[in-house]
Amino acid sequence: MTLPENELKHALRRREPPEGFAERVLARVEQEGTRKTQKARESLLDFFTRPILRWATVGAMCAVLVAGGFYYRHGQELRAQRERAQGEAAKQQLMLALRIAGSKLQIAKAKVIETSVENKNREVKE
Amino acid sequence: MRKTLLLMLLLAAPITARAQEFKIPPNIDRLSAKAKETVEVTMEGPMLRWASKFLSAEDPEEAKCAKLVQNLRGIYVRSFEFDKESAYSNEDVEQLRALVHSPEWTRVVGVRSVHDGENVDVYFKLENDKMAGIIVIAAEPKELTFVNIVGPIDVDQLADLGGEFGIPRLDTSSAKKGDRR
Repeated sequence: MTLPENELKHALRRREPPEGFAERVLARVEQEGTRKTQKARESLLDFFTRPILRWATVGAMCAVLVAGGFYYRHGQELRAQRERAQGEAAKQQLMLALRIAGSKLQIAKAKVIETSVENKNREVKE
Repeated sequence: MRKTLLLMLLLAAPITARAQEFKIPPNIDRLSAKAKETVEVTMEGPMLRWASKFLSAEDPEEAKCAKLVQNLRGIYVRSFEFDKESAYSNEDVEQLRALVHSPEWTRVVGVRSVHDGENVDVYFKLENDKMAGIIVIAAEPKELTFVNIVGPIDVDQLADLGGEFGIPRLDTSSAKKGDRR
């Protein structure tokens, strides 16, 4: 069925929107946006208010804390071990230095004693 | 006259400063290129104190070491062991001895052994009649050692350490026994 041309023109004629139409549309759009945000917030809150998830979150946080603690303690132990090793090496160096100095002094001491004894023996023989 | 005095003071200042700062002979480290084994120990104030913290009070030898080093300011050792004799020259040794030729150092022992070629010089540094340092220069056929200990030290205790740490003590008493005969 085809509409007569006049009726078609009448139907498609330009009409002014009812008063307050634009404001109503804008208000609706704004309302929709707020509703969406609220919905998202509610769903997020829902997620965390579920008991299992809540406990899982607490558990995960505890695990992170414990792992961090272990990591920190391990680091401290490593640092202490490294310091001990460096200290031991320094101690060995110190003892080596004293040992060398001591042994050379002993050589000198022995030679002095040896010479004085030889001189005394010579004197006795003479 | 005043200018001459000033010039003399200016000339003497570096010499005095060098004598005070003298720790390790310059150019001694070049001998390590010829050496089979080299021992280099350089320990000064804080490092020395830190190292001595690791000396155990329960171990008698370590306790002795701790007591010995408690007032020291520095320990410097350079020891070179060579494969063959004459790896270092007499000039090398003389250069070391020349460094200690200053009024503050007194040569207390000078050993020259033709028999086994062991030559040892021991120098003491005295400050207000107190021991302020010791330098040992030991030139053996295959070994050259320089030791500089800065600070007050008990020489007898140090010599005692020479026979510890698994190194046999030199039997100085045998010579005394020979004396009795």
